Amino acid sequence: MIVPLSHVLGFAAALFLMGLACTLARRNLIMILIGIEIMLNAAGLAFIGAAAFWRQVDGQIFVIFLMAMTSAEVAISLAMVVYLRRQKTSLEADAYDGMKG
Amino acid sequence: MTHSTLLLIPLAPLIGGILNVLFGMRLPRRLSEFLAVAGVAASALLTLAAWPLAGGEGTHFTLFTWLQSGTLQIPFELLFDPLSAPMALMVTSVSTLIHLYAIGYMQGEEDYARFFALLNLFVFAMLLIVLADNLLVLFLGWEGVGFCSYALIGFWYRQEKNANAGRKAFLVTRVGDVFLGIAILWLFDLFGTLSISAINSQAAGLAAGVLTPLVILLLLGACGKSAQLPLMTWLPDAMAGPTPVSALIHAATMVTAGVYLLCRLFPLVSLSATGMALISAVGALTAFYAATCALAQREIKKVLAYSTMSQVGYMFLGVGSGAVAGAMFHLFTHAFFKALLFMAAGCVIHLCAQENDIFRMGGLARKSPLVFILFLAGALSLAGAPLSSGFFSKDSLLAADYALHTPFYTGLLVLAVLTALLTAVYTFRLLYLVFAGTPRFSGEPHHLPRLMTWPLIPLAIVAVGGGLINLPEFYGGHAWLSHFLGSLAGAPVHISHTEEGFIAALAAILFVLGWLLSRRRYQGDLPEETGPVWRFLLSGWQADTLIRKVLLHPFASLARFFWQGTDRSLIDGILHSLARGCQLGGDRLRALTSGRLSHYLAAVAWGLLLFMLFFLVQVAQS
Repeated sequence: MIVPLSHVLGFAAALFLMGLACTLARRNLIMILIGIEIMLNAAGLAFIGAAAFWRQVDGQIFVIFLMAMTSAEVAISLAMVVYLRRQKTSLEADAYDGMKG
Repeated sequence: MTHSTLLLIPLAPLIGGILNVLFGMRLPRRLSEFLAVAGVAASALLTLAAWPLAGGEGTHFTLFTWLQSGTLQIPFELLFDPLSAPMALMVTSVSTLIHLYAIGYMQGEEDYARFFALLNLFVFAMLLIVLADNLLVLFLGWEGVGFCSYALIGFWYRQEKNANAGRKAFLVTRVGDVFLGIAILWLFDLFGTLSISAINSQAAGLAAGVLTPLVILLLLGACGKSAQLPLMTWLPDAMAGPTPVSALIHAATMVTAGVYLLCRLFPLVSLSATGMALISAVGALTAFYAATCALAQREIKKVLAYSTMSQVGYMFLGVGSGAVAGAMFHLFTHAFFKALLFMAAGCVIHLCAQENDIFRMGGLARKSPLVFILFLAGALSLAGAPLSSGFFSKDSLLAADYALHTPFYTGLLVLAVLTALLTAVYTFRLLYLVFAGTPRFSGEPHHLPRLMTWPLIPLAIVAVGGGLINLPEFYGGHAWLSHFLGSLAGAPVHISHTEEGFIAALAAILFVLGWLLSRRRYQGDLPEETGPVWRFLLSGWQADTLIRKVLLHPFASLARFFWQGTDRSLIDGILHSLARGCQLGGDRLRALTSGRLSHYLAAVAWGLLLFMLFFLVQVAQS
């Protein structure tokens, strides 16, 4: 393995935190979705690195599941974004507070 | 003549009352009134018809077993004996006349069905007291009388004053009833039976330490119904009721129930010398107290109310002196002349355009000689005019007291003699103020229905001549009532003829003295009666104020403390602050579900951080 595992994990962690920061900080629904995608990709990267390190194929199979799940999630989320945008004419997340207690 | 006739005696007014309760307002007025009178009149006739059953030991009649549980057996028993028979006859016959009078008196009243139904039920309850051979049956009637008097005194309940008077009568007599209830339970505990005859025959075996408290409890029960000290405050207020009610309750029936109870249980009561002394003391003190109050009253019916209290006090004195026959004698004559006086007072009020104040009456003797003669008959008997019924009956009580010859009873005798003088004074004060002089009232006198006067005529006759039922041998009579009562007549009175003559002369002198005193004071110009002494007497020695200060105020303060101090501040405070705490917490918690995506995401992040910290700690520990 050319790149040591610790570098891969460090990069994945940095990527995850950036995604998290994006999710938490942004108010725009699309930006929040992008943050989530980034976090998912960070998790995928960690899987790949681990699979290469232990020379086991399981991690790579997980990543394929992850991609399938992500694409399904994105498809549904984008559909919801379009629907919500039509309802409130806004993509600001705080506009959608109809569920408050 | 079968025993079941006895059952019909109380049943007749009950049926009349129930019919009036159910259909009274739908029946024609005449029929409704007829039913009421018929119920009581039938009862009176049945009592007469059943008279032979009263001879000797009397007749027991068990209707059915009311309660049965283990050793507890309460048969619904009636007893018709020499004590209950004349009492029942007096109650029913006087009530019949009062009912007739009531038809005239309540002519303009709309709620006649309620009135007559209650009157009938009242007579029924009173007959239960009189005829019961079982203390529980007696108690049933006792409470029934209490309820009916409450409803009748507050009959015109739309005026708060009347409703309050009814409530007061109910509550004050209820205080006495509690003591009677305790006495009844105790008697059952001691004897295992509530039959009056059984209790009387077994009473001799009781220890003195048990007897005296028992007699005191019975006395307190009797005090409540008979308006004796200290439970007397309800009677003057009870004059708020219609006049026939005053005549019925406060002359002929309810107030005599206490005396009757003590007479009924006399074999038990007489065993306790302390108890007897207390009964006489209560009687003599009440007689004196009420007579002084009657001196100053301005309302005609209140004078009579205090006078009733005073005369019932005489009866207590008689029972306490051991003279059941004398007490019953006075009870009967008093029922006659006081019912007469009350009803005549009703006529007087009618004639004076609903004026109650005797200082605003006057001159009625010329205006309505018939009412004057009727009232005079009652008044003379009340004041103890020689040879009237009241003279003989009061005399027999004084003689019984005198015969005991102990310093204690002599002291009571002095009080009783003083009371006799006061009685004559206030009776003639009433007569002079109402009937003599010039008319002082304004307003149109009401028409006096004939039904309001002629039922009084038979009463006037017995009020004057009723002494014949127990005319002492001293006057050539045969003391019929004492002989009829036989073993129930209490201790025989042993005094010589000289002493008897002396007491009779004393009573006659007191009567004349009272008359002269009143004549001097009230014949000419009206005296002013406004000083502090008069005010004190007018308010009944401030008894109401005293009771309010000593009993009601502390009780109200205690209740207020429990209500505001404990219930409101403490219990409600704890509950309210608990509720407020929960609500505040809920408000805070509610802020969590703000509905904002960013907040939820932040919560997820914080949760994640916590998890990671937790795992880190785990790793560090292993």
